[in-house]
Amino acid sequence: MGQRRVSKANALVAGRDGSHERGVPGSAEEVVYNAESRVRRPRELLAVLCRDLVASRELAWRFMVRDLRAQYRQAALGVVWAFVPPLLLAVAATLASRAQVINVGATDLPYPAYVMFSTALWQTFVEALHGPSQAVASAKAMLARIAFPREAIVLAKVGEVLVNFGAKLLLIAALFLWFGIPVSWTALLAPVAVLELVLLGTLLGVLVAPFAVLYQDVSRALMLATGFWLFLTPVVYPMPGAGAFGTVVRLNPVTPVLVTARELATTGAVSDPWGFTAVCVATLVGLLVTWVVFRLAMPFAIERAGS
Amino acid sequence: MTGTSPGSDLVLSVDRVSKRFCRDFRRSLRYGLRDIASELLGRRRPVESLRTGEFWALREVSLGVRRGEAVGLIGPNGAGKTTLLRLISGLINPDGGSLTVRGRVAPLISLGVGFNPVLTGAENIFVIMTILGLTKKEIDRRFAEIVDFAEIGDALQAPVQTYSWGMTARLGFACAVHGAPDILVIDEVLAVGDTRFRVKCYRRLATMRDAGAAFVLVSHNPLAILSVCDSATYLSAGRVLAQGPPRSVVARYEEEMAGNGAIPDGAAARVVEGSGARIESVVFRDPAGNALERLVSGEPAELWVRGRAERTLEAVSVAVLVREATEGGALIFELQSRDDAGPMEVPTGEFAIRVKLPYCGLNAGLYSVQVSLMEGHFLWMLDQSPTRIFRVGGREGTSQWLFYQPRGWELLTGLDLH
Repeated sequence: MGQRRVSKANALVAGRDGSHERGVPGSAEEVVYNAESRVRRPRELLAVLCRDLVASRELAWRFMVRDLRAQYRQAALGVVWAFVPPLLLAVAATLASRAQVINVGATDLPYPAYVMFSTALWQTFVEALHGPSQAVASAKAMLARIAFPREAIVLAKVGEVLVNFGAKLLLIAALFLWFGIPVSWTALLAPVAVLELVLLGTLLGVLVAPFAVLYQDVSRALMLATGFWLFLTPVVYPMPGAGAFGTVVRLNPVTPVLVTARELATTGAVSDPWGFTAVCVATLVGLLVTWVVFRLAMPFAIERAGS
Repeated sequence: MTGTSPGSDLVLSVDRVSKRFCRDFRRSLRYGLRDIASELLGRRRPVESLRTGEFWALREVSLGVRRGEAVGLIGPNGAGKTTLLRLISGLINPDGGSLTVRGRVAPLISLGVGFNPVLTGAENIFVIMTILGLTKKEIDRRFAEIVDFAEIGDALQAPVQTYSWGMTARLGFACAVHGAPDILVIDEVLAVGDTRFRVKCYRRLATMRDAGAAFVLVSHNPLAILSVCDSATYLSAGRVLAQGPPRSVVARYEEEMAGNGAIPDGAAARVVEGSGARIESVVFRDPAGNALERLVSGEPAELWVRGRAERTLEAVSVAVLVREATEGGALIFELQSRDDAGPMEVPTGEFAIRVKLPYCGLNAGLYSVQVSLMEGHFLWMLDQSPTRIFRVGGREGTSQWLFYQPRGWELLTGLDLH
């Protein structure tokens, strides 16, 4: 969709309230829609995207507060739900490991703590991954009726994932105390890795979101993929050695990010700084690309979503 | 209408806009993917042709809207009115032509769709108003007004899921009419709340319009267009058939609707097969027996229902249902032969049932009539006629009336009084 904004929206302010005098005619922000691909005007496209991103801050905040409130208000156990999945998986994995049903190698941390911490991180990644398509699905009625900056629902979801991770931090802190795990000063850097984990998930989530509006297959495939993906990520087992499996795990982009976050918070010795850096750079570049894809694809998806 | 004259106070100009749709859902999804791909690869261009299974939802439609102006879109279902609104709102992309929008566009719909049921009315107001593009400060300033307008009182701090349907709708509309759009897009006039609430909404809309907001209004109802709009556009099958002053555009619309009876109605299909009787025609005639093209308020008329009975029918009754000729149009009256004349016995063969109307009490406008033929105490449906659109011609000075009141005047003085 060719969409051009010609003049800035500065003169609109006077005209906002019905009881006030409106702005000077022709001074309002002008948008042109046509059938040209917007990719052909990259500069204008970027300007529009940036302006919408700025404009969507307040809306994103409202969405986030709304969703968090709704989420916690209707749950008697509240934040406990953030702890349950890592706890359960840790119990299961520990039992399986003790019974030698599964055979994991030595871990940096006591095994139950290792699993719990890793699962909390993994869960955060998964929430970020599923967030955009879930947000789009639940906002579909509004998306089909009102043109508000679409970035807002994605930003709100990122915020929500981060807040939920904050809740998980309580569990992690308790864990560290219980097992007496020493914390290195590098723990201060761990939030960077966690943020990167969330951004990586969001990147992929945003990419599939418009297609998830079109085809239900997308959400199902995503569900299935996350289940499988868990086994290719060192969550319940430590980093595998060489071999085909080890190679696959190492090629998994989540691996260096999750491992780095874990290492920064505990030992402080980052085993794969280059892998981490590479994924970070790729994520930042990728985010820009997927953002453009998201914005350009959404009208086509909304068109077919009905209203 | 298609002005793009520079320096004018056009807030919206639609220039030869086309939009194609596909009725086959699976195929439309595939086209969607393809369109996304060409948009991303920079290959998307205005199109002149249709792909398999597609049709023009809009074809080279142009119109312009100025500040404070109300423009009405009228036309039968599937004419492309709503599609045009969605394009104006910037929700979907045109396939040809261009739209220039100056300022903020907001829809007048019950924004209840965006409410979160667990949150309170107050919390939801903030979310919805932010979606409409208001800042926190602006919302704070209008908050009391919105609450007051919605008449939800103490329920403000209760979760929206505890609200009645009416309260939710009122709150949704209160939000919608307290945004600050430059262009308000109205898809069918308010159909919620009681009359008093609707009147309040209309008053609020008038205030917004005085403040310079432009309206684009879609309606099936010619009266709404006539009473509100400065100009009108008649769309049919995606094309502009008439454009200009509402009166002439609406007249053209009514003419054509009455001519071809084209308002689709789900009940048009014959439902009852082998029931033993069928309706063959439904015709208006004057008392002399001549078929009438249209009725005239106050003039006598007859409705002839002709049919054929394949067996002797006992206790036949006829129902004549007259509605406004709009989608879901209001019921004007229903005549039941059983109530008026008791059951009728119809022998095998052709028959005609004549409904005498000493005068036509309908006021000028478009109406639809549907006749049902029933049998027995439980009113088994024998047959039902397709919905027919007919026109009633009015008389001077009655255009604001709800129905036509026949009358006679007489002055009595002096002796006459005793």
